[in-house]
Amino acid sequence: MYKLYSNKLVIFSLVLPGLLTFVVAILAPIILSIYYSLTDYSGLGEAVFIGLQNYVQLFQDPVFWRALLNSLLLAIGFVAIQHPIAIFVALKLDHLQRRSEGILRCIYFIPNVISVAVIAYLWRFIYNPNFGLLQKILEFFGYEGKFNALGSGTAIWAVLVVLIWHGFGWGMLIYYTGIKNIDPVVYEAAAIDGANGRATFFHITLPLMKPVIKYNVTLAIISALKQMETVYLLTDGGPGNETQFLATYLYKQAFGSYKYGYGNAISVVFIAICLLATVLLNRAFADRSEQKEAKRLAKASLDH
Amino acid sequence: MRKRRWTISRVITWIFLILLAGIQLFPLIWLVDFSLCQSDQLFTSGILVWPEPFQWGNYVTALTESNFLHYLFNSILINALAVVLVVIIAIMASFACTRMHWRLSGVASILLMMGLMIPIHATLLPNYIIFDRVGILDTIFALLIPYVAFSLPQGFFLTSSYMDSVPRELEEAAIIDGCGIYRTLLTVVLPMMKASVATVAIMTYLNNWNEFVMAMTFLSSPTWKTLPFAILEFTGQYSSDYAIQFAVMTLSALPAILIYICLNKHITKGVAMGAVKG
Repeated sequence: MYKLYSNKLVIFSLVLPGLLTFVVAILAPIILSIYYSLTDYSGLGEAVFIGLQNYVQLFQDPVFWRALLNSLLLAIGFVAIQHPIAIFVALKLDHLQRRSEGILRCIYFIPNVISVAVIAYLWRFIYNPNFGLLQKILEFFGYEGKFNALGSGTAIWAVLVVLIWHGFGWGMLIYYTGIKNIDPVVYEAAAIDGANGRATFFHITLPLMKPVIKYNVTLAIISALKQMETVYLLTDGGPGNETQFLATYLYKQAFGSYKYGYGNAISVVFIAICLLATVLLNRAFADRSEQKEAKRLAKASLDH
Repeated sequence: MRKRRWTISRVITWIFLILLAGIQLFPLIWLVDFSLCQSDQLFTSGILVWPEPFQWGNYVTALTESNFLHYLFNSILINALAVVLVVIIAIMASFACTRMHWRLSGVASILLMMGLMIPIHATLLPNYIIFDRVGILDTIFALLIPYVAFSLPQGFFLTSSYMDSVPRELEEAAIIDGCGIYRTLLTVVLPMMKASVATVAIMTYLNNWNEFVMAMTFLSSPTWKTLPFAILEFTGQYSSDYAIQFAVMTLSALPAILIYICLNKHITKGVAMGAVKG
């Protein structure tokens, strides 16, 4: 049997499709991207080798730093606004009856499944200063001017609102499953010991949810870095470059300004930042015993 | 043990929960409301208006004048193919990496999961050149390849960690009885992996259903365009007829909502499975 399990040909045939996909669709493009990042190339004609010039230019490019700042703002928005509300809601849902809990959970999650294209265009209408929902609500409260939320100065906040609104259900669901995975026996023990609601939350629920919170925070920061589609359709990085993110900016440079080489330099730095962020976050949050616990929970969640 | 009386804090909690539900849902209600109105009703003062009469014609125009059905079919086809491919490749690779004996299995696992850390949009520019050279721009492969590649790491992670928990005795018995590896995989292991296959399928679907940047970059003709394009194209064509745009948007949102409502339980499970990976 051992012989059969170590048959090289069988092993090779089983992992080949997976590894091939990785090499063809992820590794090869990255290597090509590194090559083009060292060139001056418009997309047509010859690519001229210019060394690290694109990178030098990138680190002096204020829009690049603006894009990173926007990602940081979004990450803060997720962690400081979306997540506390999500934890609170998840906690309350856990105490509701099955029926109302199911309906509410469904409503909270619905925006998340709707196509980004619909979401972005819908919010463009909501923010429309002539007939948008926001304008009407402002008028209802007696505001008389025309408020263009996607205009200069407020655009980034308008974008953050949409992203926080859109992703809420996902974050909430993750916290909800985290809370559901806590053994009810622990709560009973706490109740017998006379712990009130607040004490139970801070001394039992929150510590037991640590792995889920870490995971959710990591996910939020990475997705803040990766943000592209909603912003692209909502503002396309504008006005000016106020709402630019790394992915929208590289797209704009390559296909809008025909700076394909420069766009690739952004891609390479983009990958490096995502890798670095993942590694740093994992290291900051690493805890061996918790990883084991997480594996156990993963199995438990599939078994019931 | 819990009290079920209407205390003040319970009332406040309920108000908060319902208010939040309102915030999450209201933009969509607004969308549906005005998709049934005439376009100029948008300029009236009310936040919501009662459509009088209901303009079902908006939906007829949206369905007939756009490529909605064509794009819907493309979306379903491409997503189904991506899901099937990811499931198959992930299970094969997981079996090789968790069960079979070879020295580089650890390295292969890491490579297969690398994609989790790589942002999909960073491959947009190089892939454009590669697909152009290979001649698959504007074909279904230009979408399938990146969709599969970027859903595979998660799929592999989910199936391999689940396979760890599946008992080996059954498949070992099959092997001893003279069943080959491929047949064991198909007839013994696969049926035991049902739960994780469902999860992988759902996560892959959620990853790719709404994707449009790849599609926008790699496709130029309508042949393989996906659902989001129904909206993008329509806003150009009917730029002043808002009600019809609203109708197209509602229509485009509908399939995903229906799928979600049907698969609600499994989606929750999928998210749970992903969440506890730590």
